[in-house]
Amino acid sequence: MLDNPIVWAFAIGGPLITFLMGGGAVATWWERRFAGKMQTRFGPNRVGPQGILQPVADAFKMMQKEDIVPRAADRTLFNLAPIFPPFLVIASAAVIPFAATVDATGKYDPTGAVAELDIGILWVLSMAGLMVFPIWVAGWSANNKYTLLSGMRMVAQGISYEIPMVLCALIPVIYAGSLSLSDIVAYQHEHGWIALSLSPSMFVGAAAMLLFFLTSLAEANRIPFDIPEAESELIAGVMVEYTGIKFGIFMLAEYLHTIVAAALTSALFLGGPSPLFGPAGPIAGLIWMLGKTLVLFVLIYWLRWSLYRFRSDQLMDLCWKVLVPMSLLLVMLAALMVAGGFA
Amino acid sequence: MSPLIGFGLVAGFLLASAVMVVRSDNLVHSVLWLSVVLVLTAVVFILLGATFLGGIQIILYTGGVITLMLFGIMLTGKQDTVEIPNPSEGHLAGAGAALAFLVPTLSAIWATDFGPDKGLPPVTAKHIGTAVLGPHLVAFEALSVLLLAAMIGAIVLARRSDPGEGR
Repeated sequence: MLDNPIVWAFAIGGPLITFLMGGGAVATWWERRFAGKMQTRFGPNRVGPQGILQPVADAFKMMQKEDIVPRAADRTLFNLAPIFPPFLVIASAAVIPFAATVDATGKYDPTGAVAELDIGILWVLSMAGLMVFPIWVAGWSANNKYTLLSGMRMVAQGISYEIPMVLCALIPVIYAGSLSLSDIVAYQHEHGWIALSLSPSMFVGAAAMLLFFLTSLAEANRIPFDIPEAESELIAGVMVEYTGIKFGIFMLAEYLHTIVAAALTSALFLGGPSPLFGPAGPIAGLIWMLGKTLVLFVLIYWLRWSLYRFRSDQLMDLCWKVLVPMSLLLVMLAALMVAGGFA
Repeated sequence: MSPLIGFGLVAGFLLASAVMVVRSDNLVHSVLWLSVVLVLTAVVFILLGATFLGGIQIILYTGGVITLMLFGIMLTGKQDTVEIPNPSEGHLAGAGAALAFLVPTLSAIWATDFGPDKGLPPVTAKHIGTAVLGPHLVAFEALSVLLLAAMIGAIVLARRSDPGEGR
């Protein structure tokens, strides 16, 4: 029954979408509580125990709000734009293996991805690349100078930071010799995590993970790279003219993007479901994968509430003068290490 | 039979989007239809088993199309509304050019004997990599030199004549 790819996709995709959507909703509450604790204030604590039901209240509030489309906006594009961000983020999560099986011969097989594509990482990167479209279209179609500026910044940042991100994602590909995320995880189970393998190649792997993590923060528009929606300059970026649940969908997509970025970083560089110690079965794999994702996720919000944002030109300088040359150098070092037999 | 239906749907939608690129009244709509065309082309590649090419198609062309869109907006002067006119002129000449291309292409397709479906093995990234860095190495390197020349040209064009000015 589960051998049929369509049945498998529904059996795995359903829980995955539920998990991402639910996780995204809980993340909105958790982030506000976390930020509150960091700034010695309360955060939402009225709806339900510790305020945990706040996302439900928020969702009802946003659905009840009037849906306003500005008269001078491009109506079709304005209404189409919010559909795509959550779709693209969830689609990119389809190839991430969330668990693993070990058969009788001790063969480790990462599984749990909705679709086992042989171009796995390319699929993720192409979905991430398409993400600039809905955001730019939202900024353009609203016909507002703040949204347009935000959309332009988004494009500049998105297509610049994509380059070091793709280059850093190449490094696990070079080590594992495969584009498939399952093969990359299987390689890491055998040879040690790419960012933590206690071999000469570990330094390249750790540096690549740092760069990949930073650039995926930029792709997800998180501080210190949230110039497209710098609220002190651009109010709420491309979302200025959106009301009610359309605004909510954009917000949810950002949280989903953060979760998927954390999951992807842990699968590429921290072994994904591969355990550091203990058993390697499917349940243990799921727990390790979720644990690693959660640690990176908390780190993202820790950074967000600790740092200032860069200025727009500093952001471009950082990308083109530091991150791009560094990632090119890392790709070269990784290729040399594989050729020299150090990895 | 079902793969043919899938291909028919994708190809039909692709052609319809291609028509919309030309026929749309708004420049931004045209460029967005172009992005639909390019994504569907990637789907055709994937249906043909060239999954790597499909992924690369999406990654490379999204950046290209969005840049084209920015150029379209920046080069069309001051705009106060979201409507950027994109008028089509010379329908007759266009139809003539299309026909002049269509007739030889179609006759070439009809004249070719494709033979039975041999069920080619899917082309993977490995095949493409060994082909590019093996027999086609010279062309590959020449292309990178061309891109470097284009980039230097762009920098020269965009450079201020006096570096101290305007800062």
